[in-house]
Amino acid sequence: MKKNVKAIIQTILLVVTLLTVGLIQTNSAAAADTSLQRVKQRGELIMATSPDYPPYEFQVNKNGKSQIVGMDIDVAKKVAKDLHVKLVIKSMNFDSLLVAIQTGKADMAIGGINPTAERRQSVDFSKIYYSGGQSFLINSKDVNKYKSVKNLRGATIGAQTGTLQYGLAKKRIPNSTVKGMDKSTDLVLALKTNKIDALGIEKPSAEAYVKNDPTLKMIPSGYHLNKNDVGAAIAFKKGSTSLVNAVNKSIDQIKKQDLTSKYLASAGKYMKVNTVNTSMWHYWSYFAKGVEYTILISLISTLFGVIIGVVLALMRFTKQKWLRGLAISYTEFIRGTPLMVQVMFVYFGIGVVINIPALLSGIIAVSLNSGAYVAEIIRGGINSVEKGQTEAAESLGLTKSDMMRYVVLPQAFKNIWPALGNEFISLIKESSIVSIIGVTDLIYQLNIVRADTYRGVIPIFVAMVLYFVMTFLLTRLLNYYEGKMKHAG
Amino acid sequence: MQDKNILEVNHLSKKFGENEILKDINGTVKSGQVICVIGPSGAGKSTFLRCLNLLEKPTSGEVKFEGTDLTHVDGKQLLDLRERMGMVFQSFNLFPNMTVLRNLMLAPIRVKHMSEEDAKQTAMKLLKRVGLDGKADAYPSSLSGGQQQRVAIARALAMNPEVMLFDEPTSALDPEMVGEVLEVMQELANEGMTMVVVTHEMGFAKSVADEVWFMADGYILERSKPAEMFDNPQNDRAKDFIGKIIEAK
Repeated sequence: MKKNVKAIIQTILLVVTLLTVGLIQTNSAAAADTSLQRVKQRGELIMATSPDYPPYEFQVNKNGKSQIVGMDIDVAKKVAKDLHVKLVIKSMNFDSLLVAIQTGKADMAIGGINPTAERRQSVDFSKIYYSGGQSFLINSKDVNKYKSVKNLRGATIGAQTGTLQYGLAKKRIPNSTVKGMDKSTDLVLALKTNKIDALGIEKPSAEAYVKNDPTLKMIPSGYHLNKNDVGAAIAFKKGSTSLVNAVNKSIDQIKKQDLTSKYLASAGKYMKVNTVNTSMWHYWSYFAKGVEYTILISLISTLFGVIIGVVLALMRFTKQKWLRGLAISYTEFIRGTPLMVQVMFVYFGIGVVINIPALLSGIIAVSLNSGAYVAEIIRGGINSVEKGQTEAAESLGLTKSDMMRYVVLPQAFKNIWPALGNEFISLIKESSIVSIIGVTDLIYQLNIVRADTYRGVIPIFVAMVLYFVMTFLLTRLLNYYEGKMKHAG
Repeated sequence: MQDKNILEVNHLSKKFGENEILKDINGTVKSGQVICVIGPSGAGKSTFLRCLNLLEKPTSGEVKFEGTDLTHVDGKQLLDLRERMGMVFQSFNLFPNMTVLRNLMLAPIRVKHMSEEDAKQTAMKLLKRVGLDGKADAYPSSLSGGQQQRVAIARALAMNPEVMLFDEPTSALDPEMVGEVLEVMQELANEGMTMVVVTHEMGFAKSVADEVWFMADGYILERSKPAEMFDNPQNDRAKDFIGKIIEAK
């Protein structure tokens, strides 16, 4: 009991230390405004976006190569050109966009972001470059039922989490139930399968869907809104006045020359290209890339997970109390927090101090997480080795490390092989969480394909089969080695 | 040489919690001597033997190996002393993840820094000596208990120890396999190996031991030549114990 209390206290101390370090770093980062200077010096303008929102930004398969296009991308290209720098695009979830600029992962975020008063409290905005207006998507069969927004009273309305549409539906449609999801593709699917009655969405997006899908219709929102709240603007980290001013000059030109109409027209062309062939074969390269990254992440994380796990497990068996305490605290902490939060913490949290690319962040987080679980499995394995074995090794004069290396660990690994195999298999599946920071793993690619093809279910099925094939092959491989080990005594 | 003290135990006691297993044990083992430790179960025989190479840490007292007190050294020095004492366990404790040959080669290579070839040569010689050179590449799990114990003896001998400790080496064996193990032990004794043997094999004790120690309740109650111990024990507990064993036969 006393031991437990101590472990808890140690864990709390560790958390507090981590948080304190984090806060100090955050504070010191808010220094003088060098935003413009930094971009110019680097020669690159790093932009975060969530390319699942046609026609604002989406991915197309152009000559076999995946590319992010859309009105917003054209706006950003123009801005970069005016600043005489190269545009670098980082893609991630819409929810993560503002965090990305706050933590310095990107210089600016674009993505049909409405500069609402709430958002203005945490980030700076450029001038509005486009006002699309709000609308609702409904199923064609409901055209008579939902003639106007008044009929939506009491209906179930879907909207992307963290968007203006979500807040508006909650406030402005009486008695409605609002369902939030991360991806607009998921929301459209929810609409088509009658999980929701209507979908609050920007007008250009709604138009894009209606053009590509005859089972959908659009009705105007009828919201009377402050123009400042509804247009799309570019977001920056607070205090980036110099960069904002420079970008505003480009936006002035865009508005004067009505460039957004031109951009929208070209986005429309891309969308036609995209929906010509929606068979899954056409998108095999997307899935292949997803599988490649999922395997890459799983493989490296498994390797490092085992290394970390062995080290942690051995720390639990040392005489040094503080090493044992550290290992216990680490394991308890990692097991007590969700992998999703850990992934975001490594990418955004530690990213404040050192800039770690998304893929590496994902691998680090998944490895650290897996290490804690592997450590517990190995610890069980070490305990399962008979005491007589260590006594025999001791009586022969073997050192502790030789005893572990030649006698205990080989037997422990044999005993825990099935449990370890389970961990590897769940790693393949759990690694899918890295898609939230924009790592192009299978889940991420799946969402891209869904956004591109306007097909909700088939891509999910394809991904499911691919995951199963991967885990099935791994199971076979593990069984093969288990059999081999059995043979060896 | 014959009179050199290999092991010397002074006022050794061992407690497990409140339970005192060994109480003020004294004794000396001279070079070349074979000591058999007998007594009823629970007497503390195994604990005594395990204190000799510090697998159990004595609560108080001294265990001197060639003049060095083991209870006051640790780390590298303890390992250095331990490698010169071979130990054979009741449950063999061969490493199941290695072949018989590798079982014999591991410690010579890792502890004595012997070359691969030398270690192999020594190992094969020892396996031949215990009659198991044909099993060099087998895994322990494919051997009979008697064979495993002979390998375990060879493994301990591979370190070229100055004394061999046997902890009830035949207790876990089927009766028909006891003989082959005792035979190997007898040969060892004949060659002049210093041995401390905890055993229930009275025949072996009688014919091989130079001295028999009778233990009960954590004390060594009597030590005598085998003939005296078995034919004319002095201590009442010893009388009782030996009387029962003869009756059982």
